[in-house]
Amino acid sequence: MGWQPMPQQMNNKTSIPGLPHHSTPASRREFLAKSGAGFGALAASYMLAKSDTARGDADEIAGMKGKQPGSAVNPLAARQGHYPATAKSVIFIFLEGGPSHIDLFDPKPTLNELSGKPLPDSFGTLITAMGESRSPLLASKRQWTQAGKSGLWMSDWIPHHHTIADDIAVIRSCVQDGINHSGGVCQMNTGSILAGRPSLGAWTTYGLGTENQNMPAFCVLTDTTSQVVNGPRNWGAGFLPAVYQGTKLQGGASAIANLNTPASVGEARQKAKLDLLASLNKQHLAGRPEQTELDARIKSYELAFRMQAEAPEVIDLAKETDATKALYGLDAKQTETVGRMCLQARRMVESGVRFVQIYHGAGSKWDAHSNIERNHTELCAQMDRPVAGLIKDLKSRGLLDSTLVVWGGEFGRTPMSEKGNGRDHNPTGFTMWFAGGGVKGGQTIGSTDELGLRAVDQKMHVHDLHATILHLMGVNHEKLVYFHKGRPERATMNEGEIYRRITTG
Amino acid sequence: MSCHGPQKQKGGLRMDSAEWLAKGGKNGPVLVPGKPAESKLLIAIAYKDEDLQMPPDEKLPADKVAILAQWVEMGAPFPLATQPITVSRHKKRTIRDEDRQFWAFQPVANPAPPAVKDAAWAKNDVDRFILAKLEAEGLTPAPEADKRTLVRRAYFDLWGLPPSPEDVDAFVNDKSADAWDKLIDKLMSSPRYGERWGRHWLDLARYAESDGYRQDAYRPNAWPYRDYVIRSFNDDKPYDRFVMEQLAGDQLEPGNPDVLIGTAFLRHTMYEYNQTDVRAHWQTHLDDVADVTSDVFLGLSMGCAKCHDHKFDPILQTDYYKLQAFFTPMIQQHEMPLMTPAERAKYDAAMKNWETKTASLRAEIDKIEGPFIKKAGVGALKRFPQDIQDLCNKPAAERTLYEEQLVQLAMRQVYGKQTGDPKVSGADKDKHLALVRKLGEFDDIKPKPPLMAFVATDIGPKSPPTHVEGNPKKEEVQPGYPVVLDGKGLAVPEIKPTDDSTGRRLALAKWLTPPPPPPPPRVMANRVWHYHFGRGLVGTTSDYGKLGDRPTHPELLDWLTTKFVGGGWRIKPLHKLIMTSATYRQSSARPAPEQAKLKDPDNKWLWRFPSHRLDAEQIRDAMLAVSGELKLDAMFGPAVDPVQGKRSIYTKAQRNVRDPLLDAFDLPESFGSVGERNRTTTATQSLLLINGDATLKRAEMMAGRLAGMKLKDAAETVKTAFELAYGRPPTDPELQASVDFLGKRSAIESVATGETAKPVAPSMANPEDVLTTDDKPVVKTMPHMGTQAVYVRDARPDDMLKLASPGQMPTEDFTIEAYVLLDSLYENANVRVIAAHWDGKNGNPGWSLGVTSTKSRFEPQNLILQLSGDAKGGNEVIPSDFKLDLHKTYYVAVSVRLKDTSDKGITFYVKDVSDMDAVLKSVSVAHKFTGPINGGKAPLMVGGRGDGTAHGWDGLIDEVRISKAALTKAELLFNDGKPKPGAVVGHWQFEDTPGIFKDLVGVQKDMAKNKLAGGAAAYVAATRKPAKGGDDKHPAATPTAKADRALVDFCHVLLNSNGFLYVD
Repeated sequence: MGWQPMPQQMNNKTSIPGLPHHSTPASRREFLAKSGAGFGALAASYMLAKSDTARGDADEIAGMKGKQPGSAVNPLAARQGHYPATAKSVIFIFLEGGPSHIDLFDPKPTLNELSGKPLPDSFGTLITAMGESRSPLLASKRQWTQAGKSGLWMSDWIPHHHTIADDIAVIRSCVQDGINHSGGVCQMNTGSILAGRPSLGAWTTYGLGTENQNMPAFCVLTDTTSQVVNGPRNWGAGFLPAVYQGTKLQGGASAIANLNTPASVGEARQKAKLDLLASLNKQHLAGRPEQTELDARIKSYELAFRMQAEAPEVIDLAKETDATKALYGLDAKQTETVGRMCLQARRMVESGVRFVQIYHGAGSKWDAHSNIERNHTELCAQMDRPVAGLIKDLKSRGLLDSTLVVWGGEFGRTPMSEKGNGRDHNPTGFTMWFAGGGVKGGQTIGSTDELGLRAVDQKMHVHDLHATILHLMGVNHEKLVYFHKGRPERATMNEGEIYRRITTG
Repeated sequence: MSCHGPQKQKGGLRMDSAEWLAKGGKNGPVLVPGKPAESKLLIAIAYKDEDLQMPPDEKLPADKVAILAQWVEMGAPFPLATQPITVSRHKKRTIRDEDRQFWAFQPVANPAPPAVKDAAWAKNDVDRFILAKLEAEGLTPAPEADKRTLVRRAYFDLWGLPPSPEDVDAFVNDKSADAWDKLIDKLMSSPRYGERWGRHWLDLARYAESDGYRQDAYRPNAWPYRDYVIRSFNDDKPYDRFVMEQLAGDQLEPGNPDVLIGTAFLRHTMYEYNQTDVRAHWQTHLDDVADVTSDVFLGLSMGCAKCHDHKFDPILQTDYYKLQAFFTPMIQQHEMPLMTPAERAKYDAAMKNWETKTASLRAEIDKIEGPFIKKAGVGALKRFPQDIQDLCNKPAAERTLYEEQLVQLAMRQVYGKQTGDPKVSGADKDKHLALVRKLGEFDDIKPKPPLMAFVATDIGPKSPPTHVEGNPKKEEVQPGYPVVLDGKGLAVPEIKPTDDSTGRRLALAKWLTPPPPPPPPRVMANRVWHYHFGRGLVGTTSDYGKLGDRPTHPELLDWLTTKFVGGGWRIKPLHKLIMTSATYRQSSARPAPEQAKLKDPDNKWLWRFPSHRLDAEQIRDAMLAVSGELKLDAMFGPAVDPVQGKRSIYTKAQRNVRDPLLDAFDLPESFGSVGERNRTTTATQSLLLINGDATLKRAEMMAGRLAGMKLKDAAETVKTAFELAYGRPPTDPELQASVDFLGKRSAIESVATGETAKPVAPSMANPEDVLTTDDKPVVKTMPHMGTQAVYVRDARPDDMLKLASPGQMPTEDFTIEAYVLLDSLYENANVRVIAAHWDGKNGNPGWSLGVTSTKSRFEPQNLILQLSGDAKGGNEVIPSDFKLDLHKTYYVAVSVRLKDTSDKGITFYVKDVSDMDAVLKSVSVAHKFTGPINGGKAPLMVGGRGDGTAHGWDGLIDEVRISKAALTKAELLFNDGKPKPGAVVGHWQFEDTPGIFKDLVGVQKDMAKNKLAGGAAAYVAATRKPAKGGDDKHPAATPTAKADRALVDFCHVLLNSNGFLYVD
C-alpha cells in the first residue's frame, strides 16, 4: 500500500460525491475563468447533450468547437452518451495475427471438395501478403457441429464456445482494408490502416469518460512479452489529448509503469517528499490565481497515488474463489495466462473501467502461415475455455447486460494454402463475435462466398464495427467529433453504419 | 463514382457497370427496372428518405433526377452493358468570388499601427495593435514582469534551456537601458537557438528516423536533415529560400549537398517493408507529401479534398490533385552520396583504384555469390502480385514512368533481401570465405562508404500522369494552384524541365515565395507568434479554413507579415520585434480583472502573458542542465540514446519506440505535420517524474553538484538549488519549508538506518560514467518486444552484469538463449560477447557466445560460439554463419551436444524479431573439441567476459536463459518451450518485477552489476575521455563531496515541482 493522499483543502460545497479531487466551480463565472485559463478548453458535454438531430452543417460543427466532451476541468469525468446505452464497458479480446474463420465459425464444405485445386478463376485476381494466391486450396480438417438452442456452427477447436453459443452473435462477413498485420491491427484499433489516429478505446473515453477515477479508463493486457504489432500506438490517443490513451498493465504488484515507490526510496522518504512538493506547489499556485492547469498537475499526483492503492487490488485475483478461477481455466497451465487476463478484465469492468483490451497471441502468434494445425490447436486451447468462462461469469453476475464483449483478430485466413499447410492473411472476409451489452445472442449474421474468401452479404467493415460499438455505448459516431487541423474528426472517419441487426437478430 | 466505383464501394454499392448496379449494395438492390418509385437509387437522389440522401453534399438538379427516373422507367438499359462506363464527375462546387473574400485568401495588408490612449505603455508597434484591442474591450495590459522572470522566459523561449544562476545575475545586474535587447541578441546568436527553433520545424516536417509500421526500421541517414534545419535557423536563412530548399533543393542547386538535403522534407513519409500492394503504397507516399505541403506552407488542410470537394472550404478535389501533380514525378533517392562534387570526385577516384585492384577477386566472389543473391531476389519478388512481378521483369526501357516508380518501390523489398549476407552454402563455402578474407586485405585503400542522402529527386524530365484517385480513366491532371488562391484561376505554373528533372517542384516552390500568394508568409509569421506565446494570432496554425480560428488581431498579423517579408523573410528580426514589445514582457501572474473574466477568460487578447508548461524536450534538457550533465558542445551528428547527455533534439527519433519521458510530455508522434503540440496533464506524467528512474538520477546528480560546491549551510544550499531550478532565490516560506525538510529528512534517515545519512552522490569525474555508478544497470526498451533490456554501451565494463559465483553451470550439454540488439562491431578482432562463462584466458575452460568484428577471420557480424578447454589444450571457435544486422532485434540460441562431433552436434537458432515474415532459422554444425567447458569459478557474465575489459557487447541484451541440456527446437524460449524440469539453470528477464537481477528459476543466481575493481577501473579511467559536459554557463558535474539522501530528495522535489515545469 502506498502513500495516502493528503487532506484536501477544499470547500465542501463544491465537491462532487465520489470525486473528492475534482472541484466543481461555484458559479458559471468561476467555471469559465478556470477552464479558460486551464486547458484552453470550455464546457463539458455540450455536444453530447445536444439532441440527436440530422447531420450538422458547417456552422453547427464550427459551433461545437471548444465544446468537446472531454475538455472539461476533469476530462475523464463520467458522461452520458447521446442516448441510453446498452453497454457501459467493453472487453475487446483481440486474437492478434488473425484466427482462421473457416476453421472456427464459418464451415465451407465446398472448400473441402475443391481441396488441392487452385482457386477457381471466377474469383478473379487478388493481392495477398505472401503472394500465394494461386496455391492449392487447403481443406479444413475440423469437425463441425451446431451448438446451443440456436444451433450456431462451431468447430471442434473451440468446444467451450459451444456452451455459450446462445449468448453470442457471430458476424461472418467482416472486412477491413489492410493486407498486412501493421495496417490490419492499426485499422482494427484506429479505423485507419495508416498510423496517427486515436484508438477506439481513446475515442470512447473521450466521449464518455470513466466511472472509476482511480483506475486508468482504458486498460490493455497482453499475454506474452512480445510487442503487439505497431507497439503502444495501438492504444494511443493519436491527435486526441494523451489523457485518453490506453494504459498497458503489467503483471505483479507494479501493474502500471512507475506505479510503485522505488524500493531504494521507501515510503517514509516518499511521503516526506510529497509533502514538501505539495507545500512548494501550493505556494507557487498562490501567486498565480486562476491557473487551473497548475492545480490539475497538483491533483495528478494525488490521482497517481490513489491509482497506486487501487490498481494492484483490482487486478489481484486472490479474493476470487477456486470455482471462479477454475471457470476461467486458471487451474491448468495451458489456459492459465488467458484465464488470468479474462478474470482481470471482469474485475476491471466491475470496478468501472470503461474499455479493456486483451491481446491473445501478442506478436502475431495467430499468424499461421505454416502448419495451421499445430498453431491453431495450441492457441485455441489457450483461449477457448477462459473466454467461455468470462461470458458465463459475466452472465452469472449480471454484468453481461452492461458489458459488451468483442472477439476477433485483425483479419481471417485464406482458403488457399501457404507453404503447403498454412493459410495467408484474409482481410476480405472473416468472422468476429459479440456478446452482452445489448447484443442479441444466438445468431449468425452475414456470409462469405463458398470458399470463405470474401464477404458477400451483410458486410461489416471496421468502420461499421466501430460505429456499432459506440452505438451500444450510447454514442452516435457521427456526433462524436474532435477538431483537429480544422477538420471535424470522427472515430469512423465519416464512414460507417450502425450494424443494427446485431441487437435485433 | 469515387464513392461507388472500382476503388471504393460505399455501402457495398458499385455503380460503374450494369452488373454491379444490378447487384446492388449490401442492403440489397438499388434498382427496380421500370419502377422508379421502388428504386432505392431514385429515392436517394430525390432526397425522399431522410436517412438516405445521395449524393450526400448536395441534391442533384431536378432535371437530372427526372432524367434518371425516366431511365429507370425505361428498364434501366445500359448502352455498354459489359464495359465499365466513365462518367465525368458532377461538379458540385465552383469557386466563387465570395469564396475569395474569405479573410485567409485576402492579400496581406499593411495597416498602420492604430492610435492608443495609453501611448506610454507601448514599446513598439506590436503593442499598439494589442493595446488598441484591449482598450476597445475595456481591458488594460498587465505590468511588466520582473527581470528574473523575463530572463527565464527568454532562455526557454529562444534556447529551450533554463538560464544558469550566473546568466540570471548578469541580466538582473545589467542596468543599461538596452539590457533586454542585448540579451535577445545574445540568445539568438548562440547555436542553442537553432536547437530550439529547429525542433519546431521538425514537428511541422513530421521528422522521424524510422519507417513506422511493423518493422519500423531505423533510418541511419535521416539525421543530416535535422542538422541542416538547426543550421538553417542558426544562420537565419531567409524563409523563402528555406521553403524552396524543402520542396526543390535538388532542382535549385544541383550538386550542392547542403541544398539537396532540404528535400528530405519530402522523405519523412512512412514506408512499409513488406507491402505487396505497390500501387496503393506509392499513392500513400504521394498523398503524404501533398498533405504535408498544404498543411505547412499554405495553412490549408486539404486532406478532405482527396476524396471529394472540400465540404467547408473552397478547395476542389482537382485542387488536391493539381497540387499532388507537382510531386507525381518524384522518386526517393537511395544511391546519391551526400557529397560536394569535389568530394565525390575524390571518392570516385579512390573507389576506382580499389575496384581496379580487386576486380578479379570480386569477379570470383560474384561468381559464387551470384546464384545465392539471385535466389534471394526471386524469392522476394514472388510475393508480389503477378502484374508487379511482370513489371519488374520487364526491360527498364519498356516501362512507363509510372511503372518505373512502382518497380523502384517494389525492388526496395527485393534488394532488402539481397543485400547483407548472401548466405553462401555448399561446396564453395570455404573458398568464398577465403576470397572474402582476401578482399578484406584491400580495405585500407577502400574509401569509407559515403552517407547516402535521404532525399528526393525526379524520375526524369517527364512526369507520369496524375489522376484523380479512383478515377484513372479520367484525363490527366496537370500541376496547378488551388483555384481560390490564383486570382482568376488561370495562372499556369511556369515549369522548366532540366535533363533530369521536370522542374515541377521548383515551380511550386517559386509560387510560394516572392511574390507569394497570401498564405505562406502569413502562416509562418503566425507560427513564430504561436511559439512565443503558446497560441497564434490564428489559433489553428495549420488551418486557415472556415473551421479554423479567425485571427484575434488580423491587422497585427498582416502588419507582422509585411515586416517579415519586407525584412527579407528573416525570422530573427521577428523574434526581436515580438520579444522587445511590452506585450511579451507582461507579467503572467496578474489576477484576472473582472472585465477579463467576463469577456476574455481565454486571454486571447493578451491582458497578461500566458504562462505555460515546458515542452517535452525542454523538461528533459532542463533537468540535464540543472544536474550538470548536459553536453552542449556535442552538437550534430548521428542520433544518440537519451542516456548520453546530449540535448533531446539529438536523441533517436524512432516512431514506434519512444523515450518514455518525451512521450509522456506530448512529443509529437511524427505521423503527420504538427503545428500545435498538445499540452496535457496526466497521472502517468506524475508517476514518471516521482517514481521513474530518469528523474531520480537527475536528482542525484544535482545533489552531487550542490554538495561539490561546498556551500556553508542548509539555507545556502536551498538558495543555490532554487537558483539552479527556478532562476530565483526562494521566498522566506519556501526557504523555511525546504530547510525544515532537509533537517527532518536527515533525522528520518538516522532513525531508519541507525546511522547518519549515507553519502550516495557519485564521485567520478565523468558524468557519463557517473550515470551508472549506482546499483542499477542502464536499461532500455527492446524494440519489437516492449520489454526492458540491459543496455551495454560500447563494451563498458560497468554496464555488464555479473554472477560472481555461478555455482552449478553446465559441464557438458548446454543451451544459451537471448534476445539481442547490436549497435556496432569492433574495429579490431575482438568479439561482441552476449554471454560467457569463461575468464577469457586460453588454457582455462569456458564458453562464450558472441558476434564477430569487422576484422574477423570468420567474416563480420557472425554469431559464434567459442569453446575453451583446459591447459591440456583444445579450444575451438564455431561460427554459425548467421549474420546479425545492426540495430535489429534478434532471438539467438545455441544448443550444444558437447560429445556429439557429428554435423548435428551444435545447432544455432536465429530469428529477426522485427520481420514478421522471417522464420526461426536454424543451422547445425560439426565441432571437434569436446570439453571440458565448465568455467568453474570464472564469473558468468552478460554483455562481456572475464573482467569485462576486452570483449564487450554494444547494445541491448534481454531474456538470457541458460540450460544444462541441448534443448530441442520446441523447447526453446522463442517457442514458449518448457524444457524438462531441472534443465534450466538460470533465466534472467531484467524486468523491475521481480527485479532486474533476479533469476527466475535458480537458487542464488541473481546477477549484479559488474563492479569495477583495481585493474578494470584503471582501464576504464584510461579509455574514457574526460567529460567536456557543459560550457562555462552550464558547468559539468564536477567531482563532488558527499551529498546526503535528504539533499537528493530535495532536488528530486524541485524537479517535480510546478515552479520547475512551468514558465511564467
